[in-house]
Amino acid sequence: MKKLTPLSRWLLDVAGDQPIAIMNETIITKEQISEKVAMWQTILPLSSGQKWAVYHSDAIEFFTLILALWQSDCTACVPGDNCTATVERLKTSVTGFLGEFEQVSPQYKHIEQVTNQPFSWVEIERSFPAIEVYTSGSTGEPKPIKKSMAQIDDELCSIEELWSFSERSIVLSTVTHQHLFGLTFRLFWSLAKGRLLLTKHSAFSEDIYHLASQYDQFILISTPAHLKRLNHQLDWSNLQGKCEATISSAAPLQYEDSLYAAKLLHAPILEIYGSSETGAVAWRNQAKVETDYWTLLPNITLDETDKGFIVKGPHIAAEHQTLSDNIECLSANSFRLHGRTDRIVKVEGKRLSLSKMEKCLEQSTWITLARALVVTKKREEVAIVAELNDKGRELVQQHSQKWLAAQLKESLKTSFELVLLPRRWRFVNTLPYNQQGKLPMESLQALFETTEVKWPQELARTHIDDNTWRFSFYVPKELIYFDGHFEANPILPGIAQTHWAQHYGREVFAFEGRFNRLEAVKFQSVIFPDSEVTLELEYNPFKGKLTFQYISKKGVHSSGRICFE
Amino acid sequence: MTNLKLELKNMIIDTLELEDISADEIIDSEPLFVDGLGLDSIDALEIGLALQKKYGIKLKADAKETHAHFASINALAALVESYKETN
Repeated sequence: MKKLTPLSRWLLDVAGDQPIAIMNETIITKEQISEKVAMWQTILPLSSGQKWAVYHSDAIEFFTLILALWQSDCTACVPGDNCTATVERLKTSVTGFLGEFEQVSPQYKHIEQVTNQPFSWVEIERSFPAIEVYTSGSTGEPKPIKKSMAQIDDELCSIEELWSFSERSIVLSTVTHQHLFGLTFRLFWSLAKGRLLLTKHSAFSEDIYHLASQYDQFILISTPAHLKRLNHQLDWSNLQGKCEATISSAAPLQYEDSLYAAKLLHAPILEIYGSSETGAVAWRNQAKVETDYWTLLPNITLDETDKGFIVKGPHIAAEHQTLSDNIECLSANSFRLHGRTDRIVKVEGKRLSLSKMEKCLEQSTWITLARALVVTKKREEVAIVAELNDKGRELVQQHSQKWLAAQLKESLKTSFELVLLPRRWRFVNTLPYNQQGKLPMESLQALFETTEVKWPQELARTHIDDNTWRFSFYVPKELIYFDGHFEANPILPGIAQTHWAQHYGREVFAFEGRFNRLEAVKFQSVIFPDSEVTLELEYNPFKGKLTFQYISKKGVHSSGRICFE
Repeated sequence: MTNLKLELKNMIIDTLELEDISADEIIDSEPLFVDGLGLDSIDALEIGLALQKKYGIKLKADAKETHAHFASINALAALVESYKETN
């Protein structure tokens, strides 16, 4: 089995005719890469000790830029995207931008001609700060994480020691190299091993299927977001025996999703646990339900200290040894994960600081308090429960909840990736605190359950005196009672109003008698979808009668008495 | 609105369980992704699966072409129409 070439010596040691990658069905050799690196070195105004941001959708174009930087003793900053906010943020910390940055000039994106000067390459020192990647910390601000040449090469050695896959496999990927997992597993590992990689990543199952069918053997680098959505209607049996392994990271795969992907790809689904801070730490293959635990990579140790769990290893920097996950140790080298210790969550594999999102929303002049959470529907989504102030409530009256949500969502666009923008909003007058003054996650989650909607959305309830309660309701348009009542002009049926009065009455007054009859019921003005109403309930325990009245700014909608046996 | 376009809008709303938009609010020519409806890459995967399930359309392994088909309701409708004609 072929040994790894350290990336620090890659330009010196890899043979010129060695095929490295496939770009638009054409093989790129080491020689071609060397020529480009030399050319970049003559074009770029690089001087020792600088930092340059690099973004390119083509993995090999990206790599040639990185090599040119390293050869000139410059650090490569690798941002996750090339959007304007990122360019603005990096402007003060980098000398310039290389690759696909439309916002800057001059642009260093392509080179046409190549140099015919002989090359002379230097070996990169192990302590050299080779790359800087970014991740959102608990405050939500992207923070830089430096990786030395030694960390990169040592991590590759540990991975290779664990999984020494064939160098004949072609590397396909649904992830880009602009994030650490893709950078390490898709790009650097392939380059060090001499395994051919495709320079473009694939966005859809169909791409993977189509590409994989062209090669005898492949390795797939992917994430749960893609693996659980592999299109099962494609005839994957055509690929049987071709997939040597699939490696997944970014978030843990659900057990069912792991089995699903393993069945379609006819291959082991190997998961990596780690972070941008630590690099790869542990792995698992959930082929059976009892193998849901993680095993440390070779050369890594895990210890519990008074500061929490600490991982140590040759590629883990001292300042990044503390894990932010809750760990349950099973043995010296195996453990289970139980969520984060801070309020960082993963949404479809993307990291989000819930605190940051809440802080952003609370800066709005319409919101007093906001809680962000992740709800799982067809996909994982961010959902918001927000307490509105008077101004906010006024706007809802003037426009609608939907309008307000759209404004707030727009305001978050500059600070959050599209995948992380909230898709579900609940505006309440008070957050659903329980009697202990805590805000239970179940109460927040319950606001997003979309089984048949039979109840109003409770905004607030007030205990007026022993026999009187007042409820504030939002009447959502999704109520099943609006269905066909009436087709073009939906209004809330009277029977639903009395039903609600009885339901909430029983809840607060705790009477048990059976419904007997209605008295003095009047429906004066209709209640429309998407409106707010107040329900006043008064219970006379001696007569067993519950008096109800629905009112709003428009006046009294309905009133009456419900008599119980 | 043609039936097909309405059908596609409802397919998107149902597939993605969008709760803050109704079919008549999706504009035929507006971008579905990022700027217009604000859908993202995960949604693209879900819509790809839904197209296959509902119309039997297999996406070609050409990301650029797929991207063009997913540009708007008009583009999606054209994709479905041309698929129906050739099959």
